[in-house]
Order: sequence, then C-alpha cells, then structure tokens
Amino acid sequence: MSETSNLSAALAEAPMARRGIAFPVTLALVAVAGALVPGHIGSALLLTLLTQATIGAVLATSVGILIRQNGLVSFGHAAFFGGAAYIVALAAQSGIVSAEVVVVAAVLVPVVVAFAVAFVMLRVSGVAFSMLTLAVAEALHELMMRWRELANGEDGLPVRLPSTLFGLPIATFQRPETMFVVCWIVLMALIAVLWVLSRSHLGTLTLAIQDNEERARFIGYETLVPRAIVFALSAGIAAMGGVLFALYNGFVTPDVLHWSLSGEALVMAIIGGARTLWGPALGAVVFFFLRDAAGSYTEHWQALIGIVLITVTVALPMGLSGAIVLLASRIKGGRNG
Amino acid sequence: MVEALSLEARGLTRKYGGFTALRDVSISLSRGEIRGLIGSNGAGKSTCMDVLSGRSRGTGSSGTVLLEGADISALSERARRHAGLARSFQKTNIFPELTVRKQVELAARKAEVDNTEDVLRELNLLPHAERRAADISYGDQRRVDLALSLVGRPKVLLLDEPAAGLTMGESIALAHMLRDLAERWRLTVLIVEHDMEVIFSICARVTVLHLGQILAEGTPDEVRGNTDVVKAYLGSAAA
Repeated sequence: MSETSNLSAALAEAPMARRGIAFPVTLALVAVAGALVPGHIGSALLLTLLTQATIGAVLATSVGILIRQNGLVSFGHAAFFGGAAYIVALAAQSGIVSAEVVVVAAVLVPVVVAFAVAFVMLRVSGVAFSMLTLAVAEALHELMMRWRELANGEDGLPVRLPSTLFGLPIATFQRPETMFVVCWIVLMALIAVLWVLSRSHLGTLTLAIQDNEERARFIGYETLVPRAIVFALSAGIAAMGGVLFALYNGFVTPDVLHWSLSGEALVMAIIGGARTLWGPALGAVVFFFLRDAAGSYTEHWQALIGIVLITVTVALPMGLSGAIVLLASRIKGGRNG
Repeated sequence: MVEALSLEARGLTRKYGGFTALRDVSISLSRGEIRGLIGSNGAGKSTCMDVLSGRSRGTGSSGTVLLEGADISALSERARRHAGLARSFQKTNIFPELTVRKQVELAARKAEVDNTEDVLRELNLLPHAERRAADISYGDQRRVDLALSLVGRPKVLLLDEPAAGLTMGESIALAHMLRDLAERWRLTVLIVEHDMEVIFSICARVTVLHLGQILAEGTPDEVRGNTDVVKAYLGSAAA
C-alpha cells in the first residue's frame, strides 16, 4: 500500500477520528497551550518570530485548503494576502470609513473577487491553473509597483490606524506578546472552521469532485460552484493573513504581492503536508524557525530550505503532519496488536 | 395493453470530424424492460450510451432522446440524472478516496428517494460500507459504480459493460441480481455487455449495433438466429 493510502486509511479508520472527538479536543488543548506561550517567553525576538510564523501559518493554511479540497496548487495567493494588506493601508489612509469596516472589507473584497474569478480560473486545472494564479498575482504586484499616485510604488505605504480597533487598544495588534495571541486565536479558529467544513456536505462534495469530477456530474452535482466556494474561502483566509500582517507590521510594500511570498506559502504547505488541516500551519512554523536559524549562519538560507523541501518531498510525500499521523497510527496499532 | 415507453431515442448520430461513430440510431425501451445492446468493438455501443446519457452533446451530436415522453436532448448529464436517467461506466467510475457509504450517501442527497441502505444491502456492499473505495476489490468497486447509479431509484439505467473484468461466476451473479432488481424496482435497463451469457440470460430483447448502425433487433432467439448478426458479431456465441 502506498504512503497516501496508508495516511488516508489512518485518517479514516482511527476510532476517535470516526467519532469526531480527537480533533476538536486536541485543537482546544493546543489553542489554550499556545495562548499561554507569551507568558512563558521572555525574548521579544522569539515572540516576534512566533507572531510572524503564525501569520505565515494563516497564509499557508489558505494554500493548503485549496490543495486539500480542490486539488489545486496556487502560485498566486500573495495577491489575496497582499491585496488585503493594501486595502487596509489605502482605506485607513483615506479615513472615509471606520477601521473596523476597513478590516472586514479587506477580507470580504478578496472573497468576492476570488468567487467571481473562480468561474474563469477553475475551468483550467493543473499547471495551467497555477500559471493563471501566478499571472494574476504578478499583474497586481506590477500595478502596485508602478502606480505611485495610488500606492506610492515600491516605497510602500504606512498603515495609519486609530487608537482602538474592535474595542482593543491598537498597541494590542502591534506588540508581539499580544499580537501573537490574536494571530494564534485567528489561526485556531480558522482550523476549527475548516474542520467543520471538511465534515460537512460541501467538504465531502469538493473531495468527491477532486476525486472524480465527471462522476460527480453523473450523480447530479454541479461541480464549478462548490469549487468556487472553496477558492473564495481560501482567498478569504489568505486575506485574513494579510490583514494581520498589515496591522502588525504597520507598513506595506509590493513585496507582500510578490510571487516569492506565494512560493513560500506553498513550500510551508508542502513541508507540513496539505492532507491534514493543521499540516500547512506546522510547515509555516518549521519554515520560519528554519529560516531564522539558517539565516544566522549564512545569507544563502534559501539553499537550506531547498534541501529540506527536497528531503520532505522525497522521503515524506505527505509532509511532516502525514508522517506524524502515520507514526501515531502505527504506535496505536502496535499497542492494540 | 401496450407498455408506455420509458426511453426513446430517435435518429441518434455522433460524428467525430469526418468519422461517424453512430448513424441514425433509433431505439425504444418499454417501462421495466431490460434491453441488451451488443456489437463488436467500435460498433458504437459506448458512443450510444454517451449520447443517451448526455456525456456526448453539442457539435457532432444530433437526434432526440425522450425520457418517459419528455425531451431531454438539450439537458446536461446532471439534469438528465435529476430527470431519472442514470448510468454506469465501462471503466470503473467511482470516488476512490471516499468510503463506500459516503459516496452512495452523496449520490442519494441529489435524489428524491434516499435508498442508500437498500442499495448497499442489495449489492452486498454493507460489509465494505466504511472502507475507502480504493481499498476494496475490483469486483466490489464495480458494484460501487452500480450503486452510484442505482441510488435514488432512477427510471432508466444505462449500464456500460457492468461485468467487465469480473469472473464468470461473478458475472452470472450480477446478471441475476440485475434482473431481480429491475423487476422489483420497475427499472428500465439498457445494458451494453460483451458477455453473451449475461445478455441472453436477462434481456427480453437485444439490439445489435454494427459500424454505428442498427444491424438487428429482436428476442435473444431471433438475434441468435439472424445470419447477419452471426456473420458480423456473434460467431460461436450464437451456437
């Protein structure tokens, strides 16, 4: 049996997983443990890294859910991430609406745009889809680079925010010890929502469509709209990452729209494994810490990430999370046997 | 009393560029009838199924398909399924990553009748219901394919070589089960099959296709005795 089959069997056949208890219980424990982390870490540098990694985890989760539910690889999710960050920066600058409305709009606009463009983009699959996402994201990147009057070109824009946001002092979103908790709560909530989705009719249907689109049509289903919903959801998650980034960073540049950011998100999802909901987030944490550790030894840290990516792709095609699930199922099987 | 027509096709033609795979084929099935569709490789059997089920529409396809008197020619494969026309495929066409139960339930959600349990029981799939379809045997996968078509009790079932790849014993068992189900559930079945044992044991009438056209139509005995059919296709199977 292949590793994919083993993992699928392990995911499907665990008794607790069947009853649906294991995941929410574990997630709740991890969420509480994570929220307590800042109280036990004195290093501001480490907390900053953790906050950045958690924002990266949100972006990686958005890429991962597209792979998991639609079987599609996006090279352009920076467009939604960076697009949302720019909406926050531009709208906050204009001051026409409240910052709360800006934050909500920064998530909703990419969702609506993604849902609309999905009806064109999802008509192609595989490499063609990936290239299409890359092209759209690069077009947006170029636009922000060159449109100096609107977005100040490559110099970027400051994010001007009021003193409070959603009733919280703005410093909450700018200090790593509090922003980490905000980002962590968002990440955990997103994974919980995606877990509910994966067990819903839409989750089963999109998996079925990914598995065999023609058969899905022949049992009576329209196959484009469910995939468009997943694409829009994925864009919305990436946009949430972008909003968190803009709030925390306080400054946006065209780098947040660059293809390399989309590539990094994809690398995180692959290292962590997109077959599980939490895999991409795990991949993001590994990616950030690896980059930080490698960066202190060499400026060619990308080479190390490349080696890790090759190793994971060859040795653990289902990613770190896949390996963990398999290992846990074998240990359990060994005990039961 | 004349039985009402369940499925009627008039002048079905399918062209691929300059090649005509199906030429002016007309076929009528009464309610509850099991009709065999036979012919040598390339005779146009699967093409006929594709045109009837809506898999093959648009440029190159012409003709009229009526389901219980209603013209469904312009409908998509999805809409035809809703209207009551279901099909299985020559190559197993299931959802390998889903459990057997999950995929049958998924199909049932789109149907007016949820007969998931009945279908799983009738097709002996209950022991495999919680397993991933990719992990069960080929014969069981063929039955999952059939289950996806049977769920929701369609009016008409198009079966494209349901016994392909099965052993002789499995084929005979499948044939008996199909006849039994069609009788009890008042299903109209058009079945393409190379196994003449299956065709002659369950079909009241048989249509023979040859080079995209109807060569003969009649009871199994009439078809067996037709010299053109014997010459073109049956050979020793008619003996």
